[in-house]
Amino acid sequence: MKRHTSLLPFLLAVSSVPLLTSCTSVPRKPPGPSLSAAVRNNKLDAKPAKAKEDDLDEYSTASVADPFEPLNRAIFWLNDGVYTVALRPISKGYEKVLPKPVRQGIDNAFENVKFPVRLINNALQGNFKRAWLETERFFVNTVIGFGGIVRQSDRFPSLADVPAADTGQTFAKWGIGHGAYIVLPLLGPSSLRDTVGLAGDYALNPVNLATTLYGGYAWTIAIPSTNTLRAMPDELAKYDSATKNALDRYLAARSSYIQYRHKAALK
Amino acid sequence: MNLSPLLLLASLILLRGTASASTAEAEKRLQIAVSEVLGAADLASSGSALTGSLRPVLQKYVSFDAMTRRAVGPGWRQFTEDQQKKATQLFTTLIIRTYSSKLTPGEYPVIKFKAASAPAPGRVEVPTTLLYQGSQYNVTYRMEEAEGWRITDVLIEGVSLVANYRAQFDAQFKKGGSNAVIGALSQTVAQPQ
Repeated sequence: MKRHTSLLPFLLAVSSVPLLTSCTSVPRKPPGPSLSAAVRNNKLDAKPAKAKEDDLDEYSTASVADPFEPLNRAIFWLNDGVYTVALRPISKGYEKVLPKPVRQGIDNAFENVKFPVRLINNALQGNFKRAWLETERFFVNTVIGFGGIVRQSDRFPSLADVPAADTGQTFAKWGIGHGAYIVLPLLGPSSLRDTVGLAGDYALNPVNLATTLYGGYAWTIAIPSTNTLRAMPDELAKYDSATKNALDRYLAARSSYIQYRHKAALK
Repeated sequence: MNLSPLLLLASLILLRGTASASTAEAEKRLQIAVSEVLGAADLASSGSALTGSLRPVLQKYVSFDAMTRRAVGPGWRQFTEDQQKKATQLFTTLIIRTYSSKLTPGEYPVIKFKAASAPAPGRVEVPTTLLYQGSQYNVTYRMEEAEGWRITDVLIEGVSLVANYRAQFDAQFKKGGSNAVIGALSQTVAQPQ
């Protein structure tokens, strides 16, 4: 059992991990990256643009360096297979066994416990107002929401829509770029920066604390495993939403991830 | 000469007035579109029937031409007129399919409209919150005025539908120009849902 404690808990700690489609801040490149380059190579930009086409370049591809693309693609398809063969049946089983309100309660409780991740990152971003709102939220949900099972904070307009903070987002706000896009085994889309961010979120999530402190006991693995399980249906739904009807599912997932992280960094 | 500040002020007031009138108009149009979509979805008995019943409604409120043009990007100029028509037709089918797949007949989202903004003349962004199957999503609609206000993009949690396809079309275009884009689109549309 002991040997599991090094890697398994990390993989199981999906809890604190915005799994398959999270977000990041990339300073957007000036419009027209690769396609514009292709057009330039064909010397087509010399053609006069029609009036309606002036806006053609406004949707430039969200930019991220992908120097490991062949490896990333291999891991992406491996993950896709694992999701289909193992995670989807497990996730469906979980949804079948527990009714929606119970699953929602479990989700709420695990999200509530992640409070230190949001508190510390808001503070590191210098956003003390949000850090305070998170604190209020945590106490409201813990005290009158039965330990976080019921999200009572939604009843208060000021607490209902506090944007979640994470470590990767903090790095983005500090002006650190993605570095390179990487696809993590099981966890899916990420970047060099956000992978370090994940490690930060992992360390700050109390759910993983017991595993770190008392590694070797079965219960220290059971809690993060439950956390992974409860997050699965939602994460698989996000993955499907990003990749369904895509021409190239790898590119669709990458674009969604980068756009999502970009938006998160602006919040 | 002393009139110029006054003129400036007057034109600013006029512009402001026009902007708020257009945002209100676009917002109203979106609200009608959403209620018509939900009405059409209500009549559908299954997922595939939903795709069929949503098509005429979406074609009324969505500018598929603008969506396709932007999703392809500058390479659009290299498409012949027939290729542009073909690409628009295929992309329309794909978008309607994608949109329909997000709705389950019998389960409908609750949508709250937030204050709209006008990032440029003739353009409006309407942010909404969508409560669906117990989860809340931030969905922003981009609209443009062309034969009335029409939707030109949908952003779910900051992820733009058009930008997502742009990334994919870009790669196809680099591989083999307009033919590769149309080929890949045809292949995706032909795949069973």
